[in-house]
Amino acid sequence: MSRSRFAAAAQAVCLALSCNNSPYTDDVPGEKVIYGVFQDAPRRLDPAEAYDVVAHRLTGLVNDKLLDYHYLKRPFTLIPSLALEVPKAELQPGGGVIYRFRMRRGVGFGEDECFALSGGPGARTREANVHDIAFQIQRLADPRLEVQVRDSFMNIRGFGEFMEALGKRRAAEPAFAALPVKQQYDAIGGMPGVRTPTPYELEIELEQPYPQILYWFALEFTSPVAWEAVQYYDGLEGRDLFKDHVPGTGPFRIAEYDKQAKFVFVQNEHWWGHRASDPVTAPAAFYPSEGEPGDAEAGLLDPKYVGQRLPFVDRIELRRDKESIPGFYKFLQGYYDRSEIIRESFNQVVVNSSVSPEMAAKGVRLSTVVSPSWFYLGFNMEDKTVGDPDGERSRKLRQAMGLAVDRQEWLDIFLNGRGIVAESMIPPGLFGYDEKYKNAHLGPDLARARQLLAEAGYPDGVDPATGKPLKLTFDTYATNTQQTLRDEYFVNSWRKLGLDVELVVTTYNEFQNKIQRLAYQVYFWGWSADYPDPENFLFLRTCAQRRSTNGGPNSTNFCNARFDALFDRMRVRENDAERSAIIGEMLAILETEAPHIELYHQAEFLLVHDWFHNLKQFGMSQPMNKYYDVDPELRARRRTEWNQPTRWPAYALGLALVLGALPALRTFFRERQ
Amino acid sequence: MLAYVLRRFAYGGLVVLGVLGVLFVLFFAIATPDDIARRALGEKARQEAIEQWKSNHGYDRPMWPIHAGEFRSDNLLFHHYATMLRFDFGSSDYDGVPIVERMQKGAVPSLTLTLPLFLFEITIAILVALFVAVFRGTYIDRAGLVVSVLVMSVPVVMVIIGAQYMIAKTLAWFPLSGYDRSLELIARFLALPVLVGVISGIGGEVRFLRTVFVEETSRDYVRTARAKGASEMRVMLRHVLRNSLIPVLTRVVLQIPFLFTGALLLESFFGIPGLGSLTVDSINNNDFATLRVIVFIGAILFVVAQIITDLSYALVDPRVRLE
Repeated sequence: MSRSRFAAAAQAVCLALSCNNSPYTDDVPGEKVIYGVFQDAPRRLDPAEAYDVVAHRLTGLVNDKLLDYHYLKRPFTLIPSLALEVPKAELQPGGGVIYRFRMRRGVGFGEDECFALSGGPGARTREANVHDIAFQIQRLADPRLEVQVRDSFMNIRGFGEFMEALGKRRAAEPAFAALPVKQQYDAIGGMPGVRTPTPYELEIELEQPYPQILYWFALEFTSPVAWEAVQYYDGLEGRDLFKDHVPGTGPFRIAEYDKQAKFVFVQNEHWWGHRASDPVTAPAAFYPSEGEPGDAEAGLLDPKYVGQRLPFVDRIELRRDKESIPGFYKFLQGYYDRSEIIRESFNQVVVNSSVSPEMAAKGVRLSTVVSPSWFYLGFNMEDKTVGDPDGERSRKLRQAMGLAVDRQEWLDIFLNGRGIVAESMIPPGLFGYDEKYKNAHLGPDLARARQLLAEAGYPDGVDPATGKPLKLTFDTYATNTQQTLRDEYFVNSWRKLGLDVELVVTTYNEFQNKIQRLAYQVYFWGWSADYPDPENFLFLRTCAQRRSTNGGPNSTNFCNARFDALFDRMRVRENDAERSAIIGEMLAILETEAPHIELYHQAEFLLVHDWFHNLKQFGMSQPMNKYYDVDPELRARRRTEWNQPTRWPAYALGLALVLGALPALRTFFRERQ
Repeated sequence: MLAYVLRRFAYGGLVVLGVLGVLFVLFFAIATPDDIARRALGEKARQEAIEQWKSNHGYDRPMWPIHAGEFRSDNLLFHHYATMLRFDFGSSDYDGVPIVERMQKGAVPSLTLTLPLFLFEITIAILVALFVAVFRGTYIDRAGLVVSVLVMSVPVVMVIIGAQYMIAKTLAWFPLSGYDRSLELIARFLALPVLVGVISGIGGEVRFLRTVFVEETSRDYVRTARAKGASEMRVMLRHVLRNSLIPVLTRVVLQIPFLFTGALLLESFFGIPGLGSLTVDSINNNDFATLRVIVFIGAILFVVAQIITDLSYALVDPRVRLE
């Protein structure tokens, strides 16, 4: 062993025995760092393919979009980001629509060696423009990429044709397929519905009105992507793949990306927001001055921050803790700034919807938000017993089953109350949500449920055809007994009506197969919004999305002509009173037809230390770290105070071992003598 | 001896081929490529995305050589055997990263945990077992028995969580979890997992080794050595330990493959980015491509370790003939 290695090993042993439980070894005093945790690394960072919450929480830091969401306002409101303003729809004579985006100048990509491809040796960045967004839209149409949101862009004129032409030419000409994708796209000739009259103007032409397209321009799928990065990070010559290495135009850039251990993001020196002039013309680069009622009281409109240039922190460091318990303990030690609450400690941490006195004494706050999500028990409307073919009879059966379930009790028992009981598909925070709305066919109301069941021809749950309790199956998948217990609750609720519902618990794969084969009667499922518009929930019950005929996500196979007609009107309207009335009528249809039993909208509970400022949970997957601030001095003091080592147990244990062995050793040596 | 070695390797080869067959049934016939794709892409995935994923990962081939009444050489079964036997492992079903790259990256953290853990555990277990064997029938032996059974009875997860709570959180001696690839800092993160690993594994080792040593101490040659005036230390270390090596070797060498495959729970709970953690990730993420490789490599290592164990008998005991 060389001398330096020996020194390193000696130092390692000393450090190991130094009784220091800090997991950080490169702390810079005073540096503003957000310390967080992740459990699983994202599948990919490619903004065309990344389609999960974990990925979006990272890609959102690195990629800016033409549009963004207002940090504080609810319902969710779009604001310009890379665009100079939110464009209006321009209706065309043929029924199409054009959106004209004007992109701001001076938008820089985060530093990366790939830019040497266009800027020559040494070039580390370049200005992003609308060609990079057009290139990304072409990537969304690239059949080689696993793009899961492609359907939402098929309305762009020429999108489908581009996809088809690209696929056909690749199949016909291997030499063409081997070219860099930028050259392939150029050779195909782009899309007529994506036009770039100047490097700072982007025209998107849709074949039919689709106002929700603007939300897609607030998601990473449409962020500028540098062709150089796609071409350079191709896995050749030992380089990373683009899906793990994405230089973007966001406020942060990736400094370290170790999927097994940690992610580090530092400020992007070339972020456009550093040079933005004022909050009026560049609202996404400054802390907002207005929010929703309650924000000022919650300290979210502190004059210290209002109107200040973003971001406030220098670095974001996420460490991997695959198991939730160590991650939670590290939060309690002050090594993470925020934490979800582990199930095992929920009752110790949260008392009466607030943090416990012990937590409050440590300066810990509780932040809750109801996310745009919806969980339900669905009925297969093509099933002969619970579905449409049975008409009025099956409708009353479904209504009765909905009235039998005490959803609040279920939420309290199985989710620690982390959610609110759903009365409709539309969660709070979205247009169309009505706090006062009460679904008449949701329980608990056992007396009415029994009455409806009798009217359906199943008095006391007995099927007259067999003289026995009506037999149904409830299909679900579970990976642990907790999930099975969760589902048994529903079975027991229906048993109170006299129904004999068999719980069929399978693996996830088998459950999916059953859904594909339509081999189910009742099932448990949920939906999280891609964007905050009621259309993103209500489309789940349209005929066009029926799984049985079209393979869509409408697994209830509910199909109602009136509902569809209303949906078509609602989909293209701006948020106004008429849209609200249409949504009301749609919800009334669902209330009567009861193709599903509404369960809950998920609530996210987050614990935050007192050195962490400006947290308002967003509820969707977009990260809002640029608005957060930390007080590193207070954090350092707290960490020192909370992590003083206690050494005496080690000494006591050593002493006990020695004392315990002494009599034996004495006897041993005496015998040897 | 050469014939014996060749025969063992041939048997080992058959075992590996059998393992590959079982893997194929488990990961292709039971969980079909459609299932794998759906798990990879999520619940919202449309059929078109699923087909594209299968095409990108080479899972769009027919599963068996005979497809629709025709022989197809380009089928999943042949492809599975051919790629595995060429050690051409491809990329992860989960995120497309080359599996070899990921395994290389995970091997070092795994070894930095499992190697010291293995050495500490076996050394301490031998010393403690010798100690209690010397004092057999006394309160030390009984205390050793009670403590051994106690640590064997407590599930490893409980030991981990208990140690994290007591030693890292309450006493604040070591970090709760984490890992640093630099040599200077590595011991700080490994101290607690190694300690936990030793505590949770040592009970069984001590019980086994004590039995071996006690049996050996009752043999005639030990009595003779003592009669000749050899010290107890010399008797135990020179005579008893040496003559107990065959069962000790069997147990020790068969543990060596698991050093490479990592410690699943320890790595998961302590945030060590090794192969054990990779295995757990692959299970959680339905990354069947990586799981297949991990099981395959594990099978090869196990077969090789068994052969080495058999060969080592001849080295430590001249009476053993390998024929």
